[in-house]
Amino acid sequence: MLQYVTLTIDGAKVRSPKGTSVLDAAVHAGICIPHLCHTPDLSDIGACRLCIVEHVKNGQSTITASCTLLVEEGMVIRANSDRVRKLRRNVAELLVTEAPNSRAIQDIALRCGVKEPRYPFRNNDCVLCGRCVRTCTELYRAHAIGFVGRGKDRRVEYAFGVRPDSCLLCRACILVCPMSIPPCDGYMKPGEERFCGKCESQLQVPQYEDGDCTRCDLGLHFGCARHR
Amino acid sequence: MPRVNAIGELSTLQERLRAGRANGETILTVCGGTGCQASRSGAVIDAVRAELERQGLSDSVKLRITGCQGFCEQGPIMVIDPSNVFYCHIEPEDVGEIVARSVQGDEVIERLLYTDPATGKKVRTEAEIPFYRAQDRVLLSKNRQIDPCSIEDYFAIDGYSALAKVLTEYAPEAVITEVSASGLRGRGGGGFPTGRKWADCRGASGDEKYVVCNADEGDPGAYMDRSVLEGDPHAVLEGMSIGAWAVGAERGYVYVRKEYPLAVEHTRTAITQAREYGLLGENILGSGFNFDVEVARGGGAFVCGESTALMASIEGKVGEPRPKDVHTVEDGLWHRPTTLNNVETWANIPSIIQNGAAWFASKGTEGSRGTKIFALTGQVRNTGLVEVAMGTPLRKIIFDIGGGAANGRGIKAVQTGGPSGGCLPAELFDLAVDFETLAQAGSMVGSGGMVVMDEKTCMVDVAKYFLAFLLDESCGKCVPCRLGIDRMLEIVTDITEGRGRPEQLPLLEELAETVRETSLCALGKTAPNPVVSTLRYFREEYMAHITEKRCPAGVCRALIEYVIDEERCTGCGVCLRACPHGAISGAKKEPHVIDPLTCRKCGICAEGCAFEAITIHSQGVPCYSM
Repeated sequence: MLQYVTLTIDGAKVRSPKGTSVLDAAVHAGICIPHLCHTPDLSDIGACRLCIVEHVKNGQSTITASCTLLVEEGMVIRANSDRVRKLRRNVAELLVTEAPNSRAIQDIALRCGVKEPRYPFRNNDCVLCGRCVRTCTELYRAHAIGFVGRGKDRRVEYAFGVRPDSCLLCRACILVCPMSIPPCDGYMKPGEERFCGKCESQLQVPQYEDGDCTRCDLGLHFGCARHR
Repeated sequence: MPRVNAIGELSTLQERLRAGRANGETILTVCGGTGCQASRSGAVIDAVRAELERQGLSDSVKLRITGCQGFCEQGPIMVIDPSNVFYCHIEPEDVGEIVARSVQGDEVIERLLYTDPATGKKVRTEAEIPFYRAQDRVLLSKNRQIDPCSIEDYFAIDGYSALAKVLTEYAPEAVITEVSASGLRGRGGGGFPTGRKWADCRGASGDEKYVVCNADEGDPGAYMDRSVLEGDPHAVLEGMSIGAWAVGAERGYVYVRKEYPLAVEHTRTAITQAREYGLLGENILGSGFNFDVEVARGGGAFVCGESTALMASIEGKVGEPRPKDVHTVEDGLWHRPTTLNNVETWANIPSIIQNGAAWFASKGTEGSRGTKIFALTGQVRNTGLVEVAMGTPLRKIIFDIGGGAANGRGIKAVQTGGPSGGCLPAELFDLAVDFETLAQAGSMVGSGGMVVMDEKTCMVDVAKYFLAFLLDESCGKCVPCRLGIDRMLEIVTDITEGRGRPEQLPLLEELAETVRETSLCALGKTAPNPVVSTLRYFREEYMAHITEKRCPAGVCRALIEYVIDEERCTGCGVCLRACPHGAISGAKKEPHVIDPLTCRKCGICAEGCAFEAITIHSQGVPCYSM
């Protein structure tokens, strides 16, 4: 039988089965926590750090990723405090300046409040969220792709750069990739580095309350757990 | 080798070995630590062996090759017992004379003695040297008494008595109480109370538990763990055995990085010897306690010093940290409860058990008990390993023990705690070195690296160096660490190359806060420390780079120029010939000129100038001269 615990997220009492992550519990309760590397049905690695929340414990609050934090009885979570939103905006800013050529990432950045990025754009193709690797490894058990290298050299690749027989070219990795949807204006040209994606990204509710799920359509593109 | 099956047998064995030692035989102790090996102690050792052979003294005189004795600056070091004479800077050519005069004869060779820089007098013994006198050497003093490859030497200094004591007199809980009472805190950097960690691990549910020794030391300028493991591996093994008894583990791992081949070799030798004596394996000392240790070699990734990455690496996976919402004492190696401690922490355990918690707690300060080894490096006269009680002021370590600046220039800052620590300015040298005080000042004790910097160090450049190091060593898993450090480095590089803008400093601070708060593991969480601490204490240097485009220390190449002083230049032509880029011109006996467009600012000319005529200028202002 499922055991339930009750926790508080942004002041709302949320009842959730034991073993659920705080992120899943919040999204299920309609509290929006932006996320990128978390995908339903895959394990969580806590890589993108967009889903950070404040975990208040013994009067002290620590910042931690909500996708890897499991619910506990009486837990107090602040998912949209000023501190969290500021940090989340900075993380989104790092992401979007690294890889602006993705509608999903532009949408996330706008959702997190990035208006004018303060770093030069880089136009990389991959943000190493690892959705493809986990889909290939966990859902399809193909183990065809994985992470290679460390730090700046980290990239997703076949082992030794050769496509193994286990890769059936099923393209599941491409389907989950946040880079697979270009911005509506197409790819950025040098010198024209600005955000597109405005059509989708204008949040529908003009003045949304902190912590409310705005039922935005953004989630469709980056696989928000609401749209599974 | 006989297996030691009972406690009584161990004490008999120790008694016998101690008696064998006490008969006043002549012992030549030569340091074979990594520092001394770099100054050719290997050749000295070979020469001593050959010389003893030649004089027919091989049987009567014992040669003991030890681990690091700390005073690396003066290496190779030799101590002759029983007269206790301390020789330093020994060359292989000196060995013949030493054997003839000091071993066969009773003379002291003045030339090889250490000169006290304060008085200018030669001193005979280790105890008289200021470097050693001001220290409190608990762990390091053992290094001199034992050959790390000989378990018998370790027995002779009461080795494994603590384990025997624990197995007979202590229940596991009592060991934890004792360690908690001692106030020992993790020596690897975090400073987590060891007793509490053990208690948590003991309380965790699991069919199998592990103890792990973290010897993946990778901070630039730090080599304490290396020296303890190289010089006294049995102390670490004994500490781990005691820890395993306390938490209920039967297997242990020593995770050593592969750049420490000597540490790997000595640990393996020690494990083999301990197994032969039955001190590792099944039914240790007849107590029914089983414990065995294995060496796991790391591939040399800095991030593998982080506990969860280290465990992933032992498991054979990629060395990447994982979220620590559940602590490793409950869910560690192979998802079993695991106690992970640093080399120095483990090595402290036997002496705590032997001498009691009160003895250990009597050293140090209220919150930080005991002694700590620091690796003193950089622009300081006496570089080497220093062991002092916690709470010793920085000034005492740098000036009394370290002997002050190496070249007469003023000391500007000290960098403590490696890439995760911070830079403390000279005004704060009265701070006591303990966990809390340094953390409040924006740095940390860390694993114990201490890099002393003089006035010719540019603090922006230091921040840049550490950022580049961390960017290289970040595993790249989480966004703030991988991209955040990259962006910080981008900004700091802009500043050092004269493209800095004033608004970049608040951005740098905000970014530092983001990386610190949101990163996945401790590497990222502490990565901004070098930037934050230099910004806090040396903000004017950043401002000079940004607003005046000037590097006050004369380090950042884009902002400096080499200038020849016309009055001092004699026209000797040394610089003209030395310049690899042909940037210097001038007739003989006439002052030379450097062409700023051709000059690549390598500094070779200034090094060669005997008249100190070449100085570094930045925006027309002279920087600290060469």
